[in-house]
Amino acid sequence: MSDRITPMSMFDYDARPVTPGVVLVGTRASRGAYAIRDFLTRNGYPFEWVDAEQPDAVAAVLGAPDLEPSALPLCILPDGSRLAAATVEQIAAGLGMIAAPSLAEYDLVIVGAGPAGLAAAVNAASEGLRTVVVEAVAPGGQAGTTSMIQNLLGFPDGISGSELATRAVVQARRFGAELLLARPLADVSADGPGYVARLSDGTLVRGGSLLFASGVDWRRLDVPGIDDLLGAGVYYGAGPSEALACTGSQVVVVGGGNSAGQAVVRFSRYAQQVTLLVRGRDLGASMSQYLIDHLSAIPNVEVRVRTQVAGLEADDRLRGIIVRSGDGSEPVQMPADALFICIGGNPRTDGAAGIGLATNAAGYLVTGPDGAGDRDGSWPLPREPLPLETNRPGVFAAGDVRCGSVKRCAAAIGEGSMAVALVHRRLAEVNGG
Amino acid sequence: MADRPAVAAPEVAVSAEFAGLASAERIATAAAALHRNGIDSHVTGSGAEARRLVSSLLPDGAEVYNNTSQTLEAIGVADDIERSGRYQPLRLRLYRMDREMQRREMRTLSASPEYVVGSVHALTEAGSLLIASASGSQLGPLVSGAGHVILVVGAQKIVSDVPTGTRRIYEYCFPLEDARARRAYGVPSGVNNILIINNVVTPGRVTAIIVNERLGF
Repeated sequence: MSDRITPMSMFDYDARPVTPGVVLVGTRASRGAYAIRDFLTRNGYPFEWVDAEQPDAVAAVLGAPDLEPSALPLCILPDGSRLAAATVEQIAAGLGMIAAPSLAEYDLVIVGAGPAGLAAAVNAASEGLRTVVVEAVAPGGQAGTTSMIQNLLGFPDGISGSELATRAVVQARRFGAELLLARPLADVSADGPGYVARLSDGTLVRGGSLLFASGVDWRRLDVPGIDDLLGAGVYYGAGPSEALACTGSQVVVVGGGNSAGQAVVRFSRYAQQVTLLVRGRDLGASMSQYLIDHLSAIPNVEVRVRTQVAGLEADDRLRGIIVRSGDGSEPVQMPADALFICIGGNPRTDGAAGIGLATNAAGYLVTGPDGAGDRDGSWPLPREPLPLETNRPGVFAAGDVRCGSVKRCAAAIGEGSMAVALVHRRLAEVNGG
Repeated sequence: MADRPAVAAPEVAVSAEFAGLASAERIATAAAALHRNGIDSHVTGSGAEARRLVSSLLPDGAEVYNNTSQTLEAIGVADDIERSGRYQPLRLRLYRMDREMQRREMRTLSASPEYVVGSVHALTEAGSLLIASASGSQLGPLVSGAGHVILVVGAQKIVSDVPTGTRRIYEYCFPLEDARARRAYGVPSGVNNILIINNVVTPGRVTAIIVNERLGF
């Protein structure tokens, strides 16, 4: 049986597409299948998941119960075409998500479509700048997987990260900004006073200025055997595609920030028990108080401070974890069907090295006169770098990827918006305006 | 069209009384009556033509909700709305939202789309439109919630008057819709709400496209 969502009310019929979606056949323990589920979920693309180990379900969609393992994950696109051993890139192309840039050159190329990047896109496009956003996976960034942001100005009832991203994308496009999705940035090179960004598929995007709003990747957890279980019970990030599959199971979330807290809220509605493991002494240092209060009111949530994952137990997928406590007691085993690691962050600066962007020791992009101006003598102009400007004139950074940024959605939105005023100054400098 | 099955669920026995296309004269009568009632009316010879007309009525980038409708699916309008990338398909946006935590916002959004495209169950010669619904959720936007309403009507749905239209709903549409709902959702349908639009006071808000083809039920 596939885990097709059973509609619960007439309202549910109104809130789903009537045309065919994507069908994805794979095994739960497959890393490739997880990557596709994650990609489709984060892009809000409806799909039906069919477990390849359930012959009846496979027969229902393919007409035959057997399937060559080499064909997995198998994807059936809405037009009926089939992709064997499907990849995210093939599916993105098959769904028509890969657009070419419409202009030969832009005023501003934004790397990353999280809150900082989208805020920059809305502000830049609304002020008449020719604006393009390049995004590796899906709009929303880390905030995009957040179940409910309660403290964003203007949303007294809260707003989900995906809805915030949806609205921002509509707003950015309405002002004329372009979005190039589903392709990571490969590298950046200088091009006169401007820059050329090359995407993973070879697409070139030229811009008079560049904004890195590329955010952070989850920090890898250093536990033996963890890489073998990626997608098979171990996930980096909040894993929104896995929420339904966690129904009735034991879920462990690692991390002390708001993203970890939001993941716990999400999974608590499906899982039998959710345990949050926090390395620090308390949550107050890293998590918003409203989330801490929320977590403490959920009956099937347990928060364990001063703990960390010391080992994993698995067969073909995760079955349990070994938890070590900071009080020096013996490590203990606890059952776990899924482990979500939400520890920020490794700054995403792929492509930045090509133009020699300065970073701090942890890899965050340094900006402004205090950071970027005096590090290594690489700043070429007589003026000092503008706030949010890196050590390359016209290359800016905003949001989580920037050294010294406040790791909050509202702060990222503020920085993205602010960057646009600085981009104007840089373009005026170059164009003699 | 001769090769199109008379009904979408042929295993259900329904009277053929309501399956036949109206004559050109009755179509013209109904179209003129709609116009008198404040509804922009168009007549097209085919579903393909109606599809192009709907497309020309929807601005690029518009927020559009497509009502559940065999008619829209049959002529490709549902596909255009949900998959062409030209619009903001509200169904997909609602699909992405959290059923529990964003319930209020989902209700608000679905109650007031910028554009709603749907069909009807009967159109009278006097220009009244009859629409039945099990949940009623799609009726509010048609009456006043949506900014613009576009209705695509197969010419077999034209009836002489409101009582005959009501009979069409109970005797013809309901058994077919009930069979479809059981197949698609595993639950029965019901004639729980009936909307009758006799007159529209806001000029240009509602457009009806009568298609000289048997579409939906």
